[in-house]
Amino acid sequence: MIFGYLDPGSGSMLLQVVIGGAAGIAVAAKALKQKYQLRRGTYPAPDGEEPAESIEDTSLPSES
Amino acid sequence: MEAWHALASTDFFTSAVANQLLIETTESSDIPPGSAGALEHPRLPFISYPYEWTFTMLKDAALLQLDLLRDALSAGLTIKDATPYNIQFVEGRPIFIDIGSFEAYQPGEPWMGYRQFTRQFLFPLMLRAWIGAPFQPWLRGAMEGPTPAEMAQLLGSRKRFSMGALLHVRLQARMEKRMAGRSVRDGLKTAGFSAQLIQANVRKLRSLVASLEWAHEADGWSDYGSCDHVARDRESKAEFLKSAIERTHPRRVLDLGANDGHFSGIAAAAGADVIAVDSDEAVLDDVYRRSEGSSLAVVLTDLANPSPGQGWAGTERSSVADRANPDLVIAYGLIHHLIYHASIPPEEVVRWLRTFDCPVVVEFVSPADEMVGKLIGNKRAHELHPNRDEADFRGLAGEVFDIVAETQLTSGTRALFALHPR
Repeated sequence: MIFGYLDPGSGSMLLQVVIGGAAGIAVAAKALKQKYQLRRGTYPAPDGEEPAESIEDTSLPSES
Repeated sequence: MEAWHALASTDFFTSAVANQLLIETTESSDIPPGSAGALEHPRLPFISYPYEWTFTMLKDAALLQLDLLRDALSAGLTIKDATPYNIQFVEGRPIFIDIGSFEAYQPGEPWMGYRQFTRQFLFPLMLRAWIGAPFQPWLRGAMEGPTPAEMAQLLGSRKRFSMGALLHVRLQARMEKRMAGRSVRDGLKTAGFSAQLIQANVRKLRSLVASLEWAHEADGWSDYGSCDHVARDRESKAEFLKSAIERTHPRRVLDLGANDGHFSGIAAAAGADVIAVDSDEAVLDDVYRRSEGSSLAVVLTDLANPSPGQGWAGTERSSVADRANPDLVIAYGLIHHLIYHASIPPEEVVRWLRTFDCPVVVEFVSPADEMVGKLIGNKRAHELHPNRDEADFRGLAGEVFDIVAETQLTSGTRALFALHPR
């Protein structure tokens, strides 16, 4: 069997939160909270690192 | 080998193999040097590719893919991709053949195969069910399937109020564009993405796939079995085939222009593995639906333009001719279509039959036949290939074959020949 490299696609991964319906609501809420905290610079960074400085440090979509 | 051991130790694996959803797999003691291990499967009688499948075949394969993912997730595993090339058909049922696709599910990971599932299963099915266009030319031309953006273009304003079209096609296309070049994998993990969410997606996708239907239209030769001459001559053709089978004891029979699969069924009943080839998706879809439990494989391809070698270096997916390896070829009701409809010269047709390098039973149809009249349509006699008469056919066949049996059919314009390669 020949093994293929698979690009899961960022948009397609994020979409899974939306398609999940009720099951996705908690994840979406947490993701939005992370995004909000990042904006305000209050996002808790792991292991005592400095808080992330911009939205681009995360994987979440910014408003356009 | 770690992923294999994780899979092999689950009840999921045992029951999926027992139910013939997953190919039987054992560890081999014959390990090639430099490898961590080797796995063994039973050899499949025939490999076919999604661009050779009918609508119902791709749909059954899609449902199998989703059911296996659902059950794998419940067992703490996931399937890392979602491509129909990992599924084959054995005895008229889909079976998953890529053991290497299973791995332990890591908490927080999204479904990595979602996008591939939509491109290679869902969109092709939508193409047929919602747009009315065959998916096979697309999958043959672009093996990864339509992108979400292409599918959105194809859908146009159709299915404006369908949730399935909105989410999987239009929204996916938009999000793909918006998120291009950015990574979301870690973000989803910290936001608490879970197997439960994938399960919810799989459930919804399953009901969407199950709702996709193709209303068959009997076009072309779908109603061929009801033609007068067919009913008259069918019995003689069956007897002629049975004699050929008794003479040659084929393990593998290739039925070219199989139509409703009547003669394929006779060969299968005689114990051969049969590959039924036709270019009419509607009839072949019915043959597939009736094939469960029989040694009959279905291949949708146009014999005037059969599936070529494809993929990397043109060798990743081999041509249908390379995969066939028959011991007996049936070419009933075929060569006049090639000669009069596809405009292939008769000498080329005979040469092509010889390339299978095995006995052939062939139905010759003379220019006076009523069906030939329909195939000729508006062409004038001088626009047709020469060497169309029975005497010409005997001469051409006699150059490369021995004619070991022959019989005239009651229609008076058709004859059967059993040819053995010289």
